[in-house]
Amino acid sequence: MAAAAVMVSSAGSLLAMLQEPAPELKLHALASLNSLVHAFWHEISTSVSSIESLYEDEEFVQRQLAALVASKVFFYLGELNDALSYALGAGPLFDVSDDSDYAQTLLAKALDEYAAIQSRSTGEEKTMDPRLEAIVERMLDKCILDGKYQQAMGMSVECRRLDKLEGAISRCDNLHGALSYCINLSHQYVSHREYRLEILQCLVKIYQTLPDPDYLSICQCLMFLGEPESVASILDKLISGSKDDALLSYQTAFDLAENENQAFLLNVRNHLDALSSHTSAHVDPDSGPAVPSNQTNAATEPSGDVQMRDDINMPNGSATTVDPNAATHADRLTKIKGILSGETSIQLTLQFLYSHNRSDLQILKTIKQAVEMRNSVCHSATIWSNAIMHAGTTVDTFLRENLEWLGRATNWAKFSATAGLGVIHRGHLQQGRALMAPYLPQNGAGGSGSPYSEGGALYALGLIHANHGEGIKDFLRESLRNATSEVVQHGACLGLGLAALGTSDEEICEDIKNILFTDSAVAGEAAGIGMGLLMVGTASEKATEMLAYAHDTQHEKIIRGLSLGIALTVYGREEEADTLIEQMTRDQDPILRYGGMYALALAYRGTANNKAIHQLLHFAVSDVSDDVRRTAVLALGFVLYNEPEQTPRIVSLLSESYNPHVRYGAALAVGISCAGTGLSEAISLLEPLTSDVVDFVRQGALIAMAMVMIQTNESYDSRVGAFRRQLEKIILDKHEDTMSKMGAILASGIIDAGGRNVTIKLKSRSKHDRLTAVVGLAVFTQFWYWYPLTYFISLAFSPTALIGLNSDLKVPKFEFLSNAKPSLFDYPKPVTQQTATASVKVPAAILSTYAKSKSRAKKEAESKAKEKAEDSSNASTSMQVDGAAAEKKAPEPEPTFQILTNPARVVPAQEKFIKFLEDSRYKPVKAAPSGFVLLQDLKPTEAEELALTDAPSTAATTNAPASSASEPSAMAVDDEPQPPPAFEYTE
Amino acid sequence: MDPKMTEVTQMFARFKAAYARNDLDACVTLLSQLKVHLTKFPSLPPSFQQTPNAVEELKLARDIYEHAVVLSVKLEDQDAFERDFCQLKPYYMDTCGIIPPSAEEYPILGLNLLRLLVQNRIAEFHTELELLPVKALEHPCIKHAVELEQSFMEGAYNRVLSARQAVPHETYVYFMDLLAKTVRDEIAGCSEKGYDSLSVSDAKQMLMFSSDQDLHEYITEEHPEWEITNGAVFFQKAKESQPCKEIPSLQLINQTLSYARELERIV
Repeated sequence: MAAAAVMVSSAGSLLAMLQEPAPELKLHALASLNSLVHAFWHEISTSVSSIESLYEDEEFVQRQLAALVASKVFFYLGELNDALSYALGAGPLFDVSDDSDYAQTLLAKALDEYAAIQSRSTGEEKTMDPRLEAIVERMLDKCILDGKYQQAMGMSVECRRLDKLEGAISRCDNLHGALSYCINLSHQYVSHREYRLEILQCLVKIYQTLPDPDYLSICQCLMFLGEPESVASILDKLISGSKDDALLSYQTAFDLAENENQAFLLNVRNHLDALSSHTSAHVDPDSGPAVPSNQTNAATEPSGDVQMRDDINMPNGSATTVDPNAATHADRLTKIKGILSGETSIQLTLQFLYSHNRSDLQILKTIKQAVEMRNSVCHSATIWSNAIMHAGTTVDTFLRENLEWLGRATNWAKFSATAGLGVIHRGHLQQGRALMAPYLPQNGAGGSGSPYSEGGALYALGLIHANHGEGIKDFLRESLRNATSEVVQHGACLGLGLAALGTSDEEICEDIKNILFTDSAVAGEAAGIGMGLLMVGTASEKATEMLAYAHDTQHEKIIRGLSLGIALTVYGREEEADTLIEQMTRDQDPILRYGGMYALALAYRGTANNKAIHQLLHFAVSDVSDDVRRTAVLALGFVLYNEPEQTPRIVSLLSESYNPHVRYGAALAVGISCAGTGLSEAISLLEPLTSDVVDFVRQGALIAMAMVMIQTNESYDSRVGAFRRQLEKIILDKHEDTMSKMGAILASGIIDAGGRNVTIKLKSRSKHDRLTAVVGLAVFTQFWYWYPLTYFISLAFSPTALIGLNSDLKVPKFEFLSNAKPSLFDYPKPVTQQTATASVKVPAAILSTYAKSKSRAKKEAESKAKEKAEDSSNASTSMQVDGAAAEKKAPEPEPTFQILTNPARVVPAQEKFIKFLEDSRYKPVKAAPSGFVLLQDLKPTEAEELALTDAPSTAATTNAPASSASEPSAMAVDDEPQPPPAFEYTE
Repeated sequence: MDPKMTEVTQMFARFKAAYARNDLDACVTLLSQLKVHLTKFPSLPPSFQQTPNAVEELKLARDIYEHAVVLSVKLEDQDAFERDFCQLKPYYMDTCGIIPPSAEEYPILGLNLLRLLVQNRIAEFHTELELLPVKALEHPCIKHAVELEQSFMEGAYNRVLSARQAVPHETYVYFMDLLAKTVRDEIAGCSEKGYDSLSVSDAKQMLMFSSDQDLHEYITEEHPEWEITNGAVFFQKAKESQPCKEIPSLQLINQTLSYARELERIV
């Protein structure tokens, strides 16, 4: 009997039974329907209203069952909202642990709903259905019980249930993993700033309860929370500990310094001072009070240390003798302060860039020869290009070799030329002022030099000391007060803004404001930007003041400067900035709306916030002003730089716009967000734009392309080589438009920036945004209006290096592995020998059977015997074009790995191939593939071999006087400018 | 025998006795108790569990529902009929192979067809018909219903009305009476479409009323929108056929213009 296969063919009978007056029958029908609903939902759906009415019938005993059946039917109908509301009505009958599609889908829906209600801002109505809450809690508890901690954490973060998050983390067996997972989560998926802070606070709380906390991560969190006190106390604890702890503290400090939050680091330093003076106050007067402080440290200190300390303390009794512990403490304190101030890393970077400089002067020579004498734009572009190419390397050979040529720069070009020195010597904190001395305004005896070079020099000082302006601030202020010429004021404002980036120093602010109120167009523009730089990310009240003045003034330049400045003040404030953004984007004045776009870009930098993207896209297609539209598209690049893969997709339509300004914006947006990634999609999008019909679109595309391709070479992506050849062609072409020529010159500077050892990086290794870099790029994009601002791009440069340091912060000899073909990440080949034959060589590179047979025939004619020999030897490589090429490419197969020596160039794409050797003498404190890595010495007794220690640094110092000595001669040439050809405002 | 089974059998016997006595109230109470008892049997649809006395239970349940259907006809309760028939249906459709077919199957199916016809649910009528095997169509009860439907569709209403004399089963009489009403409604619907107005006498004849009084009652009850003036029935067709709506030209122009504007803006 086939009874097993017997199934009802319809639910009609059960539905009929539902209509029966007897409640028992209804109940029976419902229970049967519940088990059959997956098969007969289509039939039931027609009479779902009767089931609903059963649920609403207060008298009915099993209302929840009715709700469950109704919910299932709605689920099958795809009405998830109704399904959810009935599932909630079903109460405990709705099984959270069910594996069916129905349960899974509804749970997801419930979570979404719950998260949506939870994340409503306080202003909106926020009524939570307790049943929904109960379901979500049941689910979270279940996840935790089942050991699915990551799910539980993700859900609780999404649902804003920090209590559950805490529960999940504390139950988890891999605490560190869980915490770092959460940090990642909070950065990647939490778009609301305040809430992110709450999560981080919660995480820090958990971290601190751990017996063995991960200080690196804690400090990162604390920095994000803006709690310098806690960071300082952690660092203080670490440097009072063992040697390993000290190493850890250095590493922490380097990681913090990398995020370039000057105001925060300054605070940490001050608190550290306060703390250590506090402890030393305890230590010094008497050994008595020192004991408790010692005991608090004892836990972390190796016992040997403690004993030694006791030995010394006991016999002496008085603390006047130098306490070795205090001495090491003091020593470590100075070191850590050095790191936090950024000086250590800047100095090491400088040494690295100097010693590894591989810039190709031949390129510059080609440009210089190709550029027409009288074309001042291209002339200046060459100077900028040189500055960018040598940014931070202190190598100014090109300038010194071409003093006479350089002397042709007049007026603002001279300003730029002088400021370029600042880029070249960027980070040369000690000698910076001495280097620029010949150009700086002389106290009292004003008017010795031209105001243009004086202003440029002040700007250069700002560039040298960008974000580390402690030492130079006062001098710049003094110069600003004494300046009478608006050009000098212009330079001083920019310089001050750069040096005091983000410190919101009241006095400086007043000084700059005074300049602003003189209502001089040139100085006012710089003052606006300077104020913005000074108050980056402070969301200070001054912004409204600036906005008011922008409405008052008549000068467009000042309005533009101010609107950019206002945008800078809301850097990274996300939702907090919304009112101000609203105000600006609604303004009548297109320049202020333009500033509003920048405000959007900077406030939501690197968040990929949907709302911001939406707004920007709206402005990109609907504003009446081309400038605003261009900027709106460009701003997308800033908002999206944390997801560079997204950008080409989002702007691809815009890049085909009929409006050249929008196309230009699209090119730069891709350039900004994909900078340094070498992303294939980005290159594909930019390629057609480099041969656009409009000159300035070509310019933008070339610059953007250079930004994307920086630090990638031809063997990584063949289009890099093609692009370099294209640049050369544009530069050499007599009939090319000036605009695109300038773009090409600038692009050749950017693609080889910093002696081919830097990349453009908007995010630090810990995934935080690099404030200086973002600000730098934002101001850089202003070069559209004001060429000297081009130099701001140097702020975005970050060395592509791995620098290992020992406990003395020296660079020991240390080797590690790059698990990839060396050629993949090698420096591009120098063009030196190529230049002469460049034009001949390009066609030779074309592979074709024709060329092959031709060369063969030629060879045969020349010498048969030789040909035969070669053929036999090169049998495998006979595919190559000609003999020369074959010989070049024929050599034995390339090794698949490479041993790198500390400090080494490690380009971003290479990072994933970096491996530390197991049997090495040094062990990294943190296994980071690039940046500064503290190395633990496993054989501390042996003598250390140091690399990159004194030689380059002395070279740098000897270099400094040498260059400064030679500078006056440059000055002499500069002093007497030839009668200016037609004065040209480079606007 | 299972005690539950015995209980139900006994109760069913009492039901049959009451039915024979024509004590309908007692029948209804007994029947609802029986239905509740039936839910306790696991072998019945939809679960179809294989229990030792599954066959007995199924047969009994089918018998009970068949009686329920007949009872509902007797009570002239169409809703109850539909309910009971739906519950009976699985015993016909899904139990073949477990229990032998019932003698009452085709009369009851035919009855159902007739009911659908009466309620003018022609689509469902055909659905039901499709579900029947070909040889079932030969059965006089089914055949009767099918022929009725054909006449009904053709408009041969006289044939429909005369078929009342030749019912194959005594239970059919109730529905045949109802059918006359359905036919009248059909005719009314057709005349409404077909004529602007009809004289009262024509209308009376067409709608098969014996007196003007009946016609008036029918009209006030079923078609209050009809009007009787000057000895004629007006169907008020003019009301429905309003001139076709105005073209929303302004709105369209506005829309087109805004599209054009948007197009201009698009990237």
